[in-house]
Amino acid sequence: MAVAAPMRAEVMSLFRSFLRMARQFSDYNIREYTCHRAADAFRENRALGDVPTVVAAFAYGKKQLEVAKRQAVVYSLYAPKAKSIMEMKLQ
Amino acid sequence: MALSRRLLPLLRRGGCLSASASPARALSMAAVPADADQEEAVTVKGVRISGRPLYMDMQATTPVDPRVLDAMLPFYLSRYGNPHSRTHLYGWESDAAVEEARARVASLVGADPREIFFTSGATECNNIAVKGVMRFYRDRRRHVITTQTEHKCVLDSCRYLQQEGFEVTYLPVRPDGLVDVAQLADAIRPDTGLVSVMAVNNEIGVVQPLEEIGRICREKGVPFHTDAAQALGKIPIDVNQMGIGLMSLSAHKIYGPKGVGALYLRRRPRIRVEPQMSGGGQERGIRSGTVPTPLVVGFGAACEIAAKEMDYDHRRATTLQKRLLDGIRGQVDDVVINGSMEHRYPGNLNLSFAYVEGESLLMGLKEVAVSSGSACTSASLEPSYVLRALGVEEDMAHTSIRFGIGRFTTEEEVDRATELTVHQVKKLRDMSPLYEMAKAGIDIKSIQWAQH
Repeated sequence: MAVAAPMRAEVMSLFRSFLRMARQFSDYNIREYTCHRAADAFRENRALGDVPTVVAAFAYGKKQLEVAKRQAVVYSLYAPKAKSIMEMKLQ
Repeated sequence: MALSRRLLPLLRRGGCLSASASPARALSMAAVPADADQEEAVTVKGVRISGRPLYMDMQATTPVDPRVLDAMLPFYLSRYGNPHSRTHLYGWESDAAVEEARARVASLVGADPREIFFTSGATECNNIAVKGVMRFYRDRRRHVITTQTEHKCVLDSCRYLQQEGFEVTYLPVRPDGLVDVAQLADAIRPDTGLVSVMAVNNEIGVVQPLEEIGRICREKGVPFHTDAAQALGKIPIDVNQMGIGLMSLSAHKIYGPKGVGALYLRRRPRIRVEPQMSGGGQERGIRSGTVPTPLVVGFGAACEIAAKEMDYDHRRATTLQKRLLDGIRGQVDDVVINGSMEHRYPGNLNLSFAYVEGESLLMGLKEVAVSSGSACTSASLEPSYVLRALGVEEDMAHTSIRFGIGRFTTEEEVDRATELTVHQVKKLRDMSPLYEMAKAGIDIKSIQWAQH
């Protein structure tokens, strides 16, 4: 039985989860990367046509979200005391 | 959901959270002195900086990608077996993970998994390649060809071989950093046992013409070794297309863990090496010692990610390099790029600022983590031998700064680095009498400095 393609709402929900997850990273660089990498990936994959590719991409996205969830916790457990100067106001 | 429910009683017991801390910060058992919580600034070596510097030294090392860390952690927690244990599940699952990682590394370079041997890093690989090959064929092959801009470990291994009686030709490079392929072809003798030319230079980022060199070496029947530590995952590598016989790979340059690398050793035609590590015969006898499963799994994950992200990262690095270069050149003049711009990996930008003293420039750039010359030679005050090989004048070599742009570098970081660099260069040039004289049209080189 073929897997049905995800609905648009599901894809948008996955994207929003990525952005929410990105905000949880305590590390400036990882946070920024997760945001723009997710945005670029979802934008690129918008053009995908056939169902199996779309299903594979969606499944890959969900797995990456799980990775991001776990790592957000790990990074915050070991967050350094001093933040990156990029996060501080300009002196 | 379940995770936050479990956290809740701990949070209630631990007191209130500050608005800025994430929920898990309260759980942190990391040693934090209680009274230092208020102090956000970092004071190291007498210099006080307000936060952690922005990192632009990707050629020295790269941060571990969270996806790589995610792949590694299970092997530190529950799957801690020795991959060479044949009798129980721990060994079997560890071995399966190592072989999977081996396949991933192999596929990134177009090799067969049986041609990949895990080591402790690119330095060990270079040692095995240079010393191992020459010692194995010591009866018939007595000559090695390398370049003057190779990494210290290759040059040092060659010097070691010279002490053992081998002959080494250190090829010069052109001012743009590229090796002259015709000169290399001429240097090959009937008793040449190895040609070693690195793929991407760690100091100047120049990409050597691997396919041409590989073709010549194949024609003349000489093994071609390349140190691809900086090239892996950044430029496409195909060992068959490039005629590569041996290749050194490093994990911590492609967002993997430190302490692991891999040596590619061609099977057809088979290249033999004399092992440098004696022991239980692991890695087909090439490198004895327990294969560190978590590190190797991390390396494999890093290679898999690099294969997927190579195009995206390359495009971003090119854009960011252009932004950095245009930003700096738009505000200061007399900036020289060291190394060819056409044959370059965009994530490495080595600039020299004329009429500026190098050490003071670096001291003023404490909020940007950059490097001058390579990390391996920074202990001494000598100008970098790579820049000297390019023919760069000593004063320009001293003021060289290497900017490293990577997967996690942001546009804001590039802009801030530009701003800080320009500010510091302008400040130093304002104080510099040499710059005043140069602006007045005096040729510095023609000055007869008075002897007191």
